[in-house]
Amino acid sequence: MSLAQVFREYPNRRYVEFGGKGGLGKTTFSAATAYWLAKQGYKVLVFSVDPQASLSDIFEQDIFGQGAVEIMPNLYAQEIDADRHIREYQDEIRHKILDMYGLDEVPEEIEHYIQAAAAEPAMEESAIFDAVVDIVVGGEYDYYIYDLVPLGHALYYLSMASIYDEWIDKITALREEMQEYDQVAAIMERKKETEEDLILMELQDIKQRINTSSGILTDREKTAFFFVVTPEEMIILDTLKAAKLFAKYQVPISGYIVNRVIPSELADQDIPDYLRYRIEMQRKYLGEIYDTFGDEVLTCVPEFERDITGLEMIGKVANALFGGE
Amino acid sequence: MSGEEQQESALRRLGRSAKEFLYGMAGHDMTRFALKTRGSMEHLFILITMGDLLGIPILPPYYSLRLLPYVVPQISTWKRRMLRERDLTDALA
Repeated sequence: MSLAQVFREYPNRRYVEFGGKGGLGKTTFSAATAYWLAKQGYKVLVFSVDPQASLSDIFEQDIFGQGAVEIMPNLYAQEIDADRHIREYQDEIRHKILDMYGLDEVPEEIEHYIQAAAAEPAMEESAIFDAVVDIVVGGEYDYYIYDLVPLGHALYYLSMASIYDEWIDKITALREEMQEYDQVAAIMERKKETEEDLILMELQDIKQRINTSSGILTDREKTAFFFVVTPEEMIILDTLKAAKLFAKYQVPISGYIVNRVIPSELADQDIPDYLRYRIEMQRKYLGEIYDTFGDEVLTCVPEFERDITGLEMIGKVANALFGGE
Repeated sequence: MSGEEQQESALRRLGRSAKEFLYGMAGHDMTRFALKTRGSMEHLFILITMGDLLGIPILPPYYSLRLLPYVVPQISTWKRRMLRERDLTDALA
């Protein structure tokens, strides 16, 4: 099956992700897929969850922290500015405290806590995670393409969802038990109604957001996850390991795409030995890739003669990816 | 006010007094206990969500912040209780 066929056969898979080691071409394929889908008439958002995102570079346009920016008709790109997201979130908390208690300024102790929390190591990832939830539950686009961070981070991102989920479950249970005691007291004192527990409502809201986001990532019906590999021994070994880990988090893998393949026609020309050896090496590992992943290998994309930046080159990659369909 | 109405309101007063008397005898302690337990749980809840305020690292801080506004008034009593020295007489309380 080709990549274009996968998209045609599973029209409900509206969340597209490319995973793989750093520097293999995830961003390039994300951009090219977005380009191809936009040309087919779908409204597409490609967004980056990487703090060192490179969508700005590939589209040759500064889009960092500017929300969804229209690159061409139907194609939108977004790079999340985690720091800004955290700052806005902190301000939101401060305002809520001031409004709730009619204060002029946030008590010093509380202010310290708000500032210290922002410096926590997991804060940036959490902020991005939260921003992604906002994006994907918005439902404005036909396709959402995640330009994922390298493997380790992607797994961290997924495991974070399950850690959050357990944490929320535990404290929600405690909160619910507390509400029972409230109700007992209220019945004894013959009050008609107990006050609604606002914290419990917040917790339920947080839980729902986390579940929506991680649910999408692991939903076979809605999500297409592609691994990017190159014909090199270490990459193949790493991908195998990663595929096992992803399977543990129930991420459905839709296929593998081989990148950076040196065109084999070159071998018939008068080329230096250096290049000839590389072509031979790649041929060997391509064989291994097909042996290992079999039918799941969807397509091979050649090494291009120059950098992939700008829409024209992205269009060329899209042609190679989708076979000019 | 007619005699009949007077009689009825006296009866109602008596009924209410009896209800309060019974509540004082049986229910009040239970209510107090329920509220006390709830209070302890509230402090436990703040500990597991805002523990960072006492230097106890808590995961994950991002969503804790969302709960912070609701516990602001309780923070100082919670801290006092958590950091208070304890001795044998606590067991009697």
